[in-house]
Amino acid sequence: MKDLQKIVLIILLLALVVGQKTVTGQEKKDTVSEITPDLKLGYLNTSNDSITLTADIFVKRETGNFALQNAEVEFTASADKENKSLGKAKADVAGTAVLKLYVKSGLPVDKEGKTTFTVSFAGKDKYLAASGNVAFKKAKILVTFTKEDTIRTIHVKAVQVEANNEQKPIKGETVNVYVPRMLSNLKIGEVKLDDNGTGTVEYPGALVGDSLGNIAVIAMIEESDLYGTVKGQSTISWGIPKQYYLAEKPSTRELWTPIAPIWMIITLIIMLTGVWGHYIYAVVQLIMIKRQSKQKKDYF
Amino acid sequence: MDESNEKKKRSRRDFLKKGLLAGAGVVAGGSLIAAYVDKSEKESGEKVRALTTDGQIIEVDKAVIKTPRVSIKESHEGIPGRKFVMVIDLAKCKNARKCVEACQKGHHLPKSQEFMKVYLLQDSDKSAPYWFPKPCFHCDNPLCVSVCPVGATYKRSDGIVLIDNDRCIGCKFCMTGCPYSTRVFAWKHYNEFDEDKEPYSPEAGSPGKEGTVSKCDFCPDLVRIGKLPYCAQNCPMGVIYFGDIDEDTVTNGTETYRFSELIRDRAGYRYLEVLGTRPTVYYLPPVERQFPVDRGFNDLDENVKNRYKNTPYVKSHKK
Amino acid sequence: MENKPTREKLLREFAPQIERISASSVLWILFLLGVIGIGVYAFVTQVTEGHEVTGMRDNVVWGIYIVNFIFFMGMSYAGAIISGALHLFRTEWRKPIIRMAEYLAIISLLIGPGYILLCIGRLDRLPFLAVYGRIQSPITWDVIAISTDIFGCLIFLYLSMLRDIANLRDFSELKLPKWRKKLYSALALGYTGTPEQEKRLKRATDIMAAMVIAIAIIVYSVLAWIFSVTLQPGWHSTIFGPYFVIAAVYSGTGVLIITMFVFRKIYRLEEYITRKHFVAMGVLMVVLAALFGYFTFSDYLTKWYGSEKNDENLIKILFSQYYWPFIFSNYIGVLVPLLVIGIPKLRTINNILISAIIVVIALWLNRYLIVVPTLESPYLPIQDSRPAWAYYNPTWVEYALTAAGVALFCLLFTLGSKFVPVMNVSEMSEIPKSKGPFTEEESLV
Repeated sequence: MKDLQKIVLIILLLALVVGQKTVTGQEKKDTVSEITPDLKLGYLNTSNDSITLTADIFVKRETGNFALQNAEVEFTASADKENKSLGKAKADVAGTAVLKLYVKSGLPVDKEGKTTFTVSFAGKDKYLAASGNVAFKKAKILVTFTKEDTIRTIHVKAVQVEANNEQKPIKGETVNVYVPRMLSNLKIGEVKLDDNGTGTVEYPGALVGDSLGNIAVIAMIEESDLYGTVKGQSTISWGIPKQYYLAEKPSTRELWTPIAPIWMIITLIIMLTGVWGHYIYAVVQLIMIKRQSKQKKDYF
Repeated sequence: MDESNEKKKRSRRDFLKKGLLAGAGVVAGGSLIAAYVDKSEKESGEKVRALTTDGQIIEVDKAVIKTPRVSIKESHEGIPGRKFVMVIDLAKCKNARKCVEACQKGHHLPKSQEFMKVYLLQDSDKSAPYWFPKPCFHCDNPLCVSVCPVGATYKRSDGIVLIDNDRCIGCKFCMTGCPYSTRVFAWKHYNEFDEDKEPYSPEAGSPGKEGTVSKCDFCPDLVRIGKLPYCAQNCPMGVIYFGDIDEDTVTNGTETYRFSELIRDRAGYRYLEVLGTRPTVYYLPPVERQFPVDRGFNDLDENVKNRYKNTPYVKSHKK
Repeated sequence: MENKPTREKLLREFAPQIERISASSVLWILFLLGVIGIGVYAFVTQVTEGHEVTGMRDNVVWGIYIVNFIFFMGMSYAGAIISGALHLFRTEWRKPIIRMAEYLAIISLLIGPGYILLCIGRLDRLPFLAVYGRIQSPITWDVIAISTDIFGCLIFLYLSMLRDIANLRDFSELKLPKWRKKLYSALALGYTGTPEQEKRLKRATDIMAAMVIAIAIIVYSVLAWIFSVTLQPGWHSTIFGPYFVIAAVYSGTGVLIITMFVFRKIYRLEEYITRKHFVAMGVLMVVLAALFGYFTFSDYLTKWYGSEKNDENLIKILFSQYYWPFIFSNYIGVLVPLLVIGIPKLRTINNILISAIIVVIALWLNRYLIVVPTLESPYLPIQDSRPAWAYYNPTWVEYALTAAGVALFCLLFTLGSKFVPVMNVSEMSEIPKSKGPFTEEESLV
C-alpha cells in the first residue's frame, strides 16, 4: 500500500514538472517575435444618419495573411482639438471589428466640415500597437423614381453637410447606380452630378426583383477623397417578380429525387411479391411434408 | 383572396431569404456616445466560444474563411429562394491554379485531392488548345444522385449537389455515374483532415472522412454569408463568376454581369450538353484570349507540369 | 421399393466420401485455410490502412474486386440456370452432375457479394443500405435481388437434397458420429417418400427450379445495369443485360466441367460421370460460346462502326494496351470450345477440360476488359502525373483476397461434398435399368 502511494506521488510530481516545462516553453515562444499588425479602416455612410466603421486587423506572414481574432480596437472621432471616443470592438473570426454609428449631430467637425475617424489597437502580447485613420465630410444621397409613359427614370440627388449644419449640393461627383444582388451590386448606370447636385439615369428594365417585384436601387459615391463612400438607397416595384426554382417541379421521370417514381415502386412490389410468394409456397410444401410425417409416426 | 395568400407566401419567402444575409450588420438608435452598438463583439463572442474560452488573440488564416456551420438537416435543404450558377470564362484562364490551391486550403484537402481540376483540352487536332478549369457541374439531372443507394449525395432546393460524408458508405457508384470525373475518394485518412477542428458539415465539405466520396460543393457555407466560393474569390484573372440564376446576376468579385446578357454576348455553353445531365456551370468560349496558352506552363510544379505531357498539344510541340 | 437395391449400392459406394476425411484432404483443407488466412490478413490491412493499399484510385474506382464479384455471381447464376433448366426438362444426363450445379449456385453466391463489400469504403455503414435505401439506385436493386436469390437458391438446394438426406438418415450402415445422424434426421423433415410427400416435394422443386432461373436472369441483368445505366463509354450499352447473363452461364459451364473433372478424379466416379456427360456439357458450352461470341461481336461492332469519339478511343486502347487479353478473351475463349467440341474427334475429356479452363480464364479477362479500360478512358481525358491514378495495377492485397475467394470456393465445395454426396443419389437410383444410370439414347439433351 505504501509503495502504491509512493508511485502515485512520484507520478504526480513528474506530471507537475513536465507540465510546467511545457507551459514556460510556450510563453517563451510567444514573446520571441513581436510583430506590428496591419490595421485598415473602412468607412460607409448610408445617408440615413448612419455610419459604419470597419477595422480589419491582421498580420502579414510568409505563409499569408492572418486575421487577429479577438483583438480589441478603439474607434475615436476627432476634429481640431476635439476628441471623442466612439467605443471599442473586438475583431471577429475574420479579423474584422465593426462599429455602427447612428448620428444626427454631435460628431466633432473642423472648419471644412470634416471629421477624422481613428481606429487604434493598444497592443497585446506579442502584437505591437497600431492605428489607422480617415477624414471625411458628411454627405447624403437621395434616390427617387419617376415614370412617364414607358420611360422609367431614376433620380439621384447628393448633398454635403457643412460645419454649420447647412446642406449644400455636391457638384461634379460621379455617382454609380446599382441594383443590390445576393453576392454583389449589379451596375445599371452612372451619373455625373450637375450644379444642383442631381442627375438621372434611365431604368434599364428586365431586372429581377424579389418575388413581389420590389427592387432596391442604390446610388453611391465611392471612395471619394472628401466624402468617403456614401450610399443612398430606395425601393420601387419595377422589378420582374422572381420565379423560384423550387416552384418548378421536376418531371415525374427524373430519378434523382428523394422519392422514386411510382411505376418503379409498383414494379418492384409486384416482382418481390411474385417471387417471395413462390418461396412461401415452397416452404409451405416443406412444412406440409413435415406434418404428414408426424401424422404417420407409425411408419418408423 | 387566393392572390393575397400567394403574396403573403411569397413575401415570407423573401423575408427568409433576406433574413439570411441580414446578419452582416444592424443599426440601432440613440445619442452619440451611447449611440454605437457593439454588435460585432456579441457576434464574435459567440464564435469565440466554439474555438477558445479565454478571449486571447488568435491568428486565423485569412485564406480559410471560417463560417458558422449549419446543421446537417439544414444543409440537406438548401438556401431558400436561390438557384446558383457558375460561369467560367475560358478566355481569361492561364492555369495559375490559384483556384485549386485556395479550394484545397479552404476545404482542408491533401494535395492529392482536387475539387477543382484544370485540364488542358484540345477538341481536335487542328483546333486550339485551351485551359479548362472544371468544378462540379451541379447538374440539374445529376446521375450521381440517381445512383446513390443511401441518399448520401443529394440535390438541394438551391440546385447545389452535396455529399453527406456522415452517410456515404463509399461504394463509389457515384464516381462511375459522373461522366465528368468530378468526384474524389478519400483512399486513407489524410493529415489535412485534422486541421479542421470544427464539427463536420456537408455545407463546409470539411473535415473529410476516410472511405467516403467528396467533391466540389460550390461553398454554400461561404455563399450563405454573402461571400464567393474559394475558387472565384481567389482567381487572379477573375475567370470564375458565380451568382443566383433566378436573380440573373453573376459576379467574380470585381465585375458583376447579368447572367443572360453574358451568356448571350459571349455565346456561353455547357460542357458535353449531349449527355443530358443539364449542368449549372456555363463556359464562355476561349475567344480573343488575354494570354497565349503556353503561359499556363509558367511557374508550375514539376509534377503538375507532367500532367500535361501526354496531351496532343504538348506532344506536338516536342516534335 | 424396386429402386432400393440401386440406392443402397450407390449409398454404400458414396459412404466413404462422407464418413472419412483422408490425410490428403486434411492437408488440402489446411492449405485452403492458409490461403484464406492470408486473405484475412489482407482484408485487415485494407480496413486498418484504408483503400490506399489497393491499386484502385479516383479514375479506376473499381478493380479486380468487382471483376471477381461479376465472375462469382456469374458462376452462381450459371449453376442456378443449368440446374433449374436441367431439372425442368427432366434431362436424364443431369442426374450425376445436378448436385454440383446446385452447389456451384449457392457457394459462389455466398462468396460473390463479399467482393462488392471489399469495394465499399465504409463497411461500418452497411446498415445504411436498409435504413436510407433509395429504390432508384441499381445498388439497392442489387441488394434486394441478391438477398432474394440467396434465399431462393438455398430453398432449391434444400429441396433437391431432401431425399438424399432422408436416404442418409435411413442408411443404417453409415458410420458417423451421433450428432451428424441427428442432424440428418432433423433436416430430413420426416420425409419417407409417401406418395403425397413425393408429390408435394416434386411440386415445390419444380416451382423453385423455375423461380431460380427467372431470378438468376433478373439478378444478373441488374448487375449488368449497374454498369450500363451510367454514361461511361463502353458501359452505356442496352445489350449488357442479356450479354452478362449469357457470359455468366458460359463461364459457369466451364467451371462446372472443371468441377466434374475434379470430383470424378478424387472420388473415383468414372462409372457415373462418363465422357458422355462431358460431351453433353461441352455441347451446352458450345451453344453458349456461339451466343457469347455473338453478343461480344454485336457490342463491339456497333461501337466500332459508329466510332463515336469515346467509343473509338476505348477500342483503340483495347487493341493496343490490352491487345493480348482482348484477343484471348474474345477470340480464343470463343473459338477453342467451338473447335474442340465441334470436331467429334477432338471431344476427349481432357480436351473438353482444357477448353473449359480456357473459357473460365477468358471470361474473367472479359469482365476485366469491361471494367478497367472503360474507367481508364473517361469523357474528360485523365491528366495526372501519378501513374497509379492513370493506370490500374492490382496490389498484393487484391490478389490475396482474390486467391482467398477461390480457396473459400474450393473449401466450401469440399465440405459440401463431405456433407451430402456430390451426386443426387435418389434421382440416379430412380432409373430401374440394369445398365446403370445412364443410357445411350439419352446422351444428348
